[in-house]
Amino acid sequence: MAGLQHPFQCLRYVNRQSAGQSDILIATAGRNLYSYDASSGQRLDVWPQPVDANAEDKSSDAAPASESQAPPEKRRKLSSTTEEQKDAKSESKPKDSNKETSNSWTNIPLVTVAHGKYVVIMTSEDKCVRVLSLDNEGKLQQLSARTMPKKLSALTMTPDEDNILAGDKFGDVYTFPLVPSGEYVKVQAPAKSYEPSATNLTVHTKRNLESLEQQMRQAALSKTNQSERVVLNFEHQLIIGHVSLLTELISVTRPADTTVGKRNYILTADRDEHIRVSRGVPQSHVIEQFCFGHTSFVSSLCVPSFEPKVLISGGGDNYLLVWDWLENEILQKVQLPGSEGETTVRGIWDVSLAPTTDNAEPVKAIFVALEGSSQLLCYTLESDNTITHQHTLQLSGNVLELVGIDSRGSILVAVDTLRQSDSTSAWKSSSQPPLESFRLSSGKWIPVEDSMVIKINSEGTSSLPTTIEQKEQKELSDSMYNLGNLRKRGDYDE
Amino acid sequence: MATQKIPAKRIKREEYRRNVQAQQESTDAVIKMPQKKFFRQRAHANPFSDHRLEYPLSPAHMDWSSHYPAFVDPDTSKTNLSGGRKLTKEVEVVDIGCGFGGLMVGLAPLLPDTLMVGMEIRTSVLEYLSSRIHALRSQQQSLKNKAANPSSTEPQDASTQPESAESTVPAPANDDEIGTEKIFPGNFENITAIRSNTMKFLPNFFGHHQLSKIFICFPDPHFKARKHKARIVSESLNSEYAYVLRPGGLLYTITDVEEYHHWVLRHFLHGEQPEGAAPAPSSKDLFERISEEELALDPCVQVMKYETEESKKVTRNKGNKYVAVFRRKADPEWPA
Repeated sequence: MAGLQHPFQCLRYVNRQSAGQSDILIATAGRNLYSYDASSGQRLDVWPQPVDANAEDKSSDAAPASESQAPPEKRRKLSSTTEEQKDAKSESKPKDSNKETSNSWTNIPLVTVAHGKYVVIMTSEDKCVRVLSLDNEGKLQQLSARTMPKKLSALTMTPDEDNILAGDKFGDVYTFPLVPSGEYVKVQAPAKSYEPSATNLTVHTKRNLESLEQQMRQAALSKTNQSERVVLNFEHQLIIGHVSLLTELISVTRPADTTVGKRNYILTADRDEHIRVSRGVPQSHVIEQFCFGHTSFVSSLCVPSFEPKVLISGGGDNYLLVWDWLENEILQKVQLPGSEGETTVRGIWDVSLAPTTDNAEPVKAIFVALEGSSQLLCYTLESDNTITHQHTLQLSGNVLELVGIDSRGSILVAVDTLRQSDSTSAWKSSSQPPLESFRLSSGKWIPVEDSMVIKINSEGTSSLPTTIEQKEQKELSDSMYNLGNLRKRGDYDE
Repeated sequence: MATQKIPAKRIKREEYRRNVQAQQESTDAVIKMPQKKFFRQRAHANPFSDHRLEYPLSPAHMDWSSHYPAFVDPDTSKTNLSGGRKLTKEVEVVDIGCGFGGLMVGLAPLLPDTLMVGMEIRTSVLEYLSSRIHALRSQQQSLKNKAANPSSTEPQDASTQPESAESTVPAPANDDEIGTEKIFPGNFENITAIRSNTMKFLPNFFGHHQLSKIFICFPDPHFKARKHKARIVSESLNSEYAYVLRPGGLLYTITDVEEYHHWVLRHFLHGEQPEGAAPAPSSKDLFERISEEELALDPCVQVMKYETEESKKVTRNKGNKYVAVFRRKADPEWPA
């Protein structure tokens, strides 16, 4: 294939056999969401529809009215200037004609699936949580779009898959229904004129008193401009808050045992080394435990579906920790390659595969990828709840994402098609296939030729423009490899 | 070459603080009380910034032994996860944003057997309080020595009664700048101060249900609406307070800003609900407000209202003080 293509950023496998339908693979690459037939690799749909055809009208039909006039693409910083001002600014800016599309995001970093028929995504720059329906033919159609106040860092579902859990970069976790119930009427506070909460009894210095008087005068002058914020304009609840950058959020159900019934938990991790264990909704305000042991940010949490008592966590430390997470007990510290201060865990995945003709035993494996590394570390979970390193796979590019394909007894690995192996900034001159597939054979993961993967790879993803400027290259690289920014620099202040 | 001229005030301040430091290291003489004017610092700190904080990896790693030398367990074999000596009891009272430490010093004789810690994010202010506690302990030591040895100088202070049976109202005999001529129960061995950002790291210091009291006195009001996220009281932070506070434990708040008082009430208590509707579950379920009658009997409230530096400022300014105290309820039953 010629030219450069976007790598797959997220992969999800949708098992629909119980519903008597064929399985589907969901993937995101660049600004698109794809659905594939998981047995043939046939592409079923792309969302949003390519803009060149008349198809644009079709896709925007499904979108709410506000969608059609979304602001132009713009990278926003988490700054404190008021949203209103910013929106006004970006609206007035002329649209960038060099860009292929005028849409408001460049990538889709978060995807989750509910009930086998809904795909929930967050589009990056517009901070929008979009719910799409996934029909029998694998067609995608947007049902709702809800704008969050801050960019999300994690997106998952409650155990009943009826509510979305969304954690943002300000440390807040929100929950809201998958399908918005009816018309949301914003509880409108009566238009209140601004009134400084300080009084001349509460400020003590002369200068503060002066500025208070000034505020009072200002308030009297401008009683009109009360524009409403467009964010969170839907039914939602703020359930957990960290005063830190939230990095990860998972929802775990512990099955009933001899003493207690089935219980739901939410595990959250942040940049300040914390892993917090809260009860599940609706009691998520009750914190049950903190897991202390990391000395740098935590970026990945994995509770294996086949052993929900165990948590494997990683981040800016050059080790993984294996936990009995409800007891804050470290079961094992697993050294990772690379030195302290450089190694960053990009992802930890658990894969359980049913027995196949090749493997009589069911597969229970843990995979770990490091940021900007083309190696994939393979582990098995032992009966004493520790993990053992089996071997390391070398891939053709940096590992970005991994998913187990139950029906084929294999794993799919998404590799970076743009950057050179083991680099987060140096670009390749031409793309390679975005997916690789492996199967376990006598205790080792070996590459397999899979017609489904070949089919997906042959079609490829969306292409980048043939000429791409260095600045844009850097932006794309930074949006793909941003975990390093979580490291603390130790700036001095009082 | 054109070096910026350092203001004379700063030179003086730094010299003074060096002297205080040196004085603390020498053990011979009675240490003089530090003077606040050399430790002033801007009243606000950004709680979202990283700062350069030191905090233990976990509560089990926290070494309290240097903070409470009088309470170190004599059994040297008992150590915590970082190798420090263990104490004979746990810390169970925290003053969040303790400032110059008026509350700590006021509470110390009231609860002489309870270990208390003030937490403050501003370095200079913390340095003052540490020096102050150090000086108070040293004064108490020399007073005790004198009392045990009445033949020595200054026989005239008959008022000095060792372990004086003080009434519940703390005597204001303890001047900030001069110190005290009286021996107080506990000899200030039960208080200490630590630099920390509690909004981020409170659970690093204290375990589940470890605390019996948390004080939040005259918090930074963060008047601007877009700064409200930085307020020390919020529904999500209240979950953390509930985590470290034992059921039955108390959380004290006082402020001179009426709007902030209502903010506190709003974030700890359910508002009025439309008829028949149950309030949405939140950390408000974990707290109940304490009645005025009960507050009147609590000497800690008096200290909070009259002993803290900020409360004195408010009194001088003839401002109002709004008190609200909440009791930690037991965790709700798990849903079936």
